[in-house]
Amino acid sequence: MLLAIDTSAGTSTAVFDGDKLLAFVEYEDPFGHAENIGNAIVEALTIAKITSSQITAVAIGKGPAPYTGLRVGMAAGTSFATALGLPMYSVMNLDAVAQSFGEAKVVISTDAKRKELFVAAYDLGERVFGPAVLKPEELDQFAGFDSIEGKCNAKLVGKYANWAIGKGVDLSDSTALYLRSPDVAPSAGKRVTG
Amino acid sequence: MEFLELTKEHLSMVMDLEQKLFPEDAWSATSMAAELAANHTYYLGIFKPDLVGYAGLSTSVGTFSSDIQTIGIALDERGKGLGRQLMQKLIRKAKELGSEQVMLEVRADNPAAIALYQDLGFTQIDVRKRYYQPAGVDAIIMRLAIKQPIVLGIESTCDETGVGIVQGNRLLANALHSSMDEHSKYGGVVPEVAARAHLEAIKPTLEKALKEANLTMAEIDAIAVANGPGLAGALMVGIGAAKGLALAHSKPLYAVNHLVGHVGADVLERGAVELPTIALLVSGGHTSLLLVRHLLNDVELLGETIDDAAGEAFDKVARVLGLPYPGGPQIDQLAADTVPSIRFPRGLTLPKDMEKHRYDFSFSGLKTAVARHVEKAQDAGEEFSKADVAASFREAVVDVLLTKAINACRDFGVNRLLLGGGVVANARLREEAQKRCSENGIELRIPRFQLCTDNGAMIAALGSQLVMAGREPSGLGFGSESTLEVTQVQTL
Repeated sequence: MLLAIDTSAGTSTAVFDGDKLLAFVEYEDPFGHAENIGNAIVEALTIAKITSSQITAVAIGKGPAPYTGLRVGMAAGTSFATALGLPMYSVMNLDAVAQSFGEAKVVISTDAKRKELFVAAYDLGERVFGPAVLKPEELDQFAGFDSIEGKCNAKLVGKYANWAIGKGVDLSDSTALYLRSPDVAPSAGKRVTG
Repeated sequence: MEFLELTKEHLSMVMDLEQKLFPEDAWSATSMAAELAANHTYYLGIFKPDLVGYAGLSTSVGTFSSDIQTIGIALDERGKGLGRQLMQKLIRKAKELGSEQVMLEVRADNPAAIALYQDLGFTQIDVRKRYYQPAGVDAIIMRLAIKQPIVLGIESTCDETGVGIVQGNRLLANALHSSMDEHSKYGGVVPEVAARAHLEAIKPTLEKALKEANLTMAEIDAIAVANGPGLAGALMVGIGAAKGLALAHSKPLYAVNHLVGHVGADVLERGAVELPTIALLVSGGHTSLLLVRHLLNDVELLGETIDDAAGEAFDKVARVLGLPYPGGPQIDQLAADTVPSIRFPRGLTLPKDMEKHRYDFSFSGLKTAVARHVEKAQDAGEEFSKADVAASFREAVVDVLLTKAINACRDFGVNRLLLGGGVVANARLREEAQKRCSENGIELRIPRFQLCTDNGAMIAALGSQLVMAGREPSGLGFGSESTLEVTQVQTL
């Protein structure tokens, strides 16, 4: 029984029994992650008619995505898995979106704020570029790829995790994918007198 | 019928009943008056409307133990369960105060009372021969064990990831991960850097705390998390983690106020926060003066900084002097053994400011004055003593903090001052606080440093107070509250 949590866009949760989706809950609000994460987990468990003790693994979306919200789901998934001693699988969000396009040549992009995009490109089911931060016009380099504006959720994260676990893909690295340094520069200090 | 807490105003009616009920060995009016007035006792009376019964509980700070001092029910009111109700209320109070046991002694020739106590869960642990004189009746010593809740607290309001575990008022673990080093190159806390560090640190810090307390998550009774005030992105990591933890084992979750947590930290030092108290909380993010009459019900913000926090001023002045971040320890070290000679301004202490800002602070003007002083000397190519600047700056901060804190103690007639926050590490602040408090007959409380800086144990301790007081858990829908008011101890 897999619990998937994703806060890369809205706040969403899903419960899978093997490949079978038992529950999917999504709060679309792009800001209220801290507020919604608890209820999203409870509601998914309720719809799936299970308790938390029946969960055997946790999957989380690890970005790239807007940082503040992304971290809420990652923190919740990490503590949930730690508390129950469960394995945690961390899924790159663009990989999860790309999976539904099978072997097609696609370039997946999501909003990275500041007029930039998080981008990854896929061909024959393999990632051939990214993840990276690009300006919208830089998507022009992907001639011959279908350009998809993706939005991830827990259903896609859980589905990808199930597939990857079956394939033996390593999803143990739970480091968030920020793709940018913190937005600061060391200050030299300013004079107060002219 | 009404249960009311007894005070010394009720002395004569209590004594009337006492003398009727215990003609052989009634307490003197003097002892009873002292009992009713004492800070560590809780006496409850039943009024109908006259006093028909009373009982008292004594809980000495630091003992984690309460004693039933006395219980008496008027003869014509016996057999109606009044004694049981009184006992239940005293036991509830003992639980609330963090006691781990309730002790009592009872006459061996009073089987009805012994049966009642046994029914309430007391067991006999000892006999004192011929304790009640002149009759020479044995005393049976009985004990009720109280299992206090084990609460895990998460702190992520600024640059410290803290996970603490307490049982009742007892500290079991206080694990901490600080991202301070990562902020040093920026000269101050960078919110995004702090939030990233919290996410990385939450799992190892949680595991460290559980190991330190030798507990598993399943043994934790409740989770508490600081939901403000603090940096929004940092708070959200702690909230996400707390909700995940709480749901994994279906534990109740309490969203608590970080600043009130600083005050609550003192329960871990001696088993209780003695109230009322003035609290001065000074850190890189806060400079707040509080009047705390009750930890859960009555916390008042008297004043706070209107610009920089005191710790921030230390960081900025350190930078002016070419010292690394964090500035507090650097300035403290440089200023040691130097007698300050420069009179830097004390913010908001002029009569006109005191009218509006009696308990508020301002450190931005002080920082500018220090910078001007240094720049003037540097521009003129003059030698200047960095140690003197550091000592004089430190003196100005300490002076204004303590002047306002002591004023608050005097104004409100509160003879207790509690310090909290990272700036409490400052040697001069502690020394001067000690001096001024003893000059003014004020008891000074400074919890150990690990409980003064941001930490998870203080959040767990405040959560534990809420659990012991029987408060409802918070719902799952709370979020981060960057500017949470101190009056809101718990967010529901």
